[in-house]
Amino acid sequence: MDLRYSSEDLRFREATRRWLETQVPREEPATLEARRAWHRQLYDAGYVGMGWPVAYGGRGATPLQQAIVADEMARTGAPAPINPLGIAIVGPTIIVHGTEAQKRRYLRKILTAEELWCQLYSEPNAGSDLASLGTRAEDRGDHFVVNGQKIWTSGGLVADWGLLLARTDTAVAKHKGISCFLIAMHQPGVEVRPLRQITGSAHFSEVFMTDARVEKTDLVGRLGQGWEIAQTTLSYERGGSSLARVTRYAAAFRQLLRAVRTLQRGDRPLLEDPTVRAKLGRIYVDLEVQRYAALRILSALEKGESPGPAASITKLSYSEFEKRYHELVQEILGPWGQVMSAADDFAEVDTSSGEPGTWATAFLWSRAGTIYAGSSEIQKNIIGERVLGLPKEARADRMRS
Amino acid sequence: MDFAFSPDQQLLRSTARAFLDEHVTPAVVRALWDDPRGERDDLWKEMARLGWLGLALPEAHGGSALGMVETAIVLEELGRVVCPGPYLETVVAAHGLQHAGSPAQQARWLPAIAAGSARATVALLDAELDWRPEATETRAERTLDGVRLTGVKQWVTWAHVADVLLVPARGPEGLSLFLVEAGAEGLDVSPVSAMDPGMRWSTVRLDGVRVGPGARLGEAGAAAGVLDDLLRRGAVGAAGMMLGAARRCLDMSVAYAKVREQFGQPIGSFQAIRHRCAEMLLEVENAHAATYYAAWAQDADAEDATLAASVAKAYVSEATRKVCGEAIQVHGGIGFTWEFDLHLYFKRAKALEASWGDADYHRELVVRHVTR
Repeated sequence: MDLRYSSEDLRFREATRRWLETQVPREEPATLEARRAWHRQLYDAGYVGMGWPVAYGGRGATPLQQAIVADEMARTGAPAPINPLGIAIVGPTIIVHGTEAQKRRYLRKILTAEELWCQLYSEPNAGSDLASLGTRAEDRGDHFVVNGQKIWTSGGLVADWGLLLARTDTAVAKHKGISCFLIAMHQPGVEVRPLRQITGSAHFSEVFMTDARVEKTDLVGRLGQGWEIAQTTLSYERGGSSLARVTRYAAAFRQLLRAVRTLQRGDRPLLEDPTVRAKLGRIYVDLEVQRYAALRILSALEKGESPGPAASITKLSYSEFEKRYHELVQEILGPWGQVMSAADDFAEVDTSSGEPGTWATAFLWSRAGTIYAGSSEIQKNIIGERVLGLPKEARADRMRS
Repeated sequence: MDFAFSPDQQLLRSTARAFLDEHVTPAVVRALWDDPRGERDDLWKEMARLGWLGLALPEAHGGSALGMVETAIVLEELGRVVCPGPYLETVVAAHGLQHAGSPAQQARWLPAIAAGSARATVALLDAELDWRPEATETRAERTLDGVRLTGVKQWVTWAHVADVLLVPARGPEGLSLFLVEAGAEGLDVSPVSAMDPGMRWSTVRLDGVRVGPGARLGEAGAAAGVLDDLLRRGAVGAAGMMLGAARRCLDMSVAYAKVREQFGQPIGSFQAIRHRCAEMLLEVENAHAATYYAAWAQDADAEDATLAASVAKAYVSEATRKVCGEAIQVHGGIGFTWEFDLHLYFKRAKALEASWGDADYHRELVVRHVTR
């Protein structure tokens, strides 16, 4: 057991920090083109797709190096790369399951953000029970025709391409009749409508597909392999930017300390109020444990161990922590915590969502983490069945299939 | 960056587990409830022979010169079998002797502790339930040939079997720490009966106890730093024992949920039970990370060693409380019976939660640390 960084890692961190400190734009890029330009700058410096194999334009960087870059970006407040789903999910899916032609056609443009991607998985009637999805893809000889509706599509409004799950066979068990496709978003049969979240902004959308066209060459893997591919895809979504997440929690905590030093109760700052101190202590203890747990995961990844279903523990842990964190912040700040536009400097915080905002925005966003990428209930099922080995539930759909 | 145990550390754990599973069974633990000492000398000697009592002591004193990580591994295994006895108290006191003691004090106590012929404990709480060293009210008055100690120490664990007690007291120079040997005139140790019959507490009265000039541990008036250090190690050690108790309760619950059937199915197939077990695992894994991060930070003298110890004690206390409690819930009625072993863990978790600074105290230390 040795939790120090090696001198090589420290040098890498130092170099990354120096680069970011001189290059990070002073103002948050306002337009898509400005964000794309920043993304390109990050890519040229080697900070995008770091974990991808060198053969596909990545750096083959170690998990710790990836964590260090994400961490330093959080520390310096650097704007995030613009194509997160493309880089974290679509690219790795194509690398693992795609054809050579697909790799040549798509991978580089994902890394450079020339083409932006979204993920077309969830449907109005297929959330946690994703395998019951109803969007159909019919084989029309030289292409597929897609009909159906997707929902909760992050980045759908700007996406050029989508990674699509659609049903190609209704005669087999539901998990076996799903295929995975790459679909062009800019075509007459695809309509994207923004969905406003409880924060008021529209980060996700609904996608309606009416006789949309998918080329035969854009089937990923085999027909009917979609569910299996989605399972590996979902695993990429967990555990990655662990250190950066904790760094953002800590940055927000420092903002909270500024607030409790400024706000007064009974002629003294909130910081001197024992009930406030107890809550601050509770948050910080929890936050530090998230950090230790992140180091433990990174250590396992560095040894080449795949977290597998245990990644569900991490996801459950941090998403539930975010809710506890922001509930306590709200208790401490009272109505100050509900301000939606930052009038005072201590009111503006990192919301850990990529969306700049206030404590209120962060509080509202904290409700998202226990729902997206597999709800807490789904994570607990995975932990129960695949980590603890508890028996599976008798389910109506399992009895049928 | 390596959070995994070395092969030697893994061997230490497997040896400990094999020994304890054979020799510290629930029947052994229960048999000691009615024993006035509450622990067994032959087990203690065996723990010394295995090298556990000198694990972190220098080789010159009969130790193995290892650290808090190894100590926490042994403590986790002791917690896993709710082992009674003053192991944690003795190794914490030994740490104090090693770092603040004179050569004579070290020569007198450390080899004896490593060999299993001496036990020690630390008397941290005075009349008030206040863990801060500055709250000490026990007085140290200078006499012609030494010091006279007067006061009451409460909730001292395993004082009735300790050969030496580390006693903080306030004198003209400020707060100092003294070694008080068992049987000293004016020393009264009265056991207090509490919820966990495997954990022994005493009220220690010092009625003008005379100690010689060689009994002061460390510089006069400089005990606060030593006490912080002892509390820190005690906190990490208690976290280790609680972690062992929590993981055992989780294991028992999962095993039970796989075989206990209701409505024609194992209860573990119901989400109500499965989700509870998943939450318990989450707490146990976080408790593991907190305990061993803190143990490593002590050994590495990391800049956040103090913070990490408080984080571990605060987090693991609540995590273990939850896991041991939920284990009873998963088991249902059988979990609430005297014959079933879960209450051993439930009670030990509570006893450790209230020792070495409770979660409220450690959270306050955390806030002080981050607002410095």
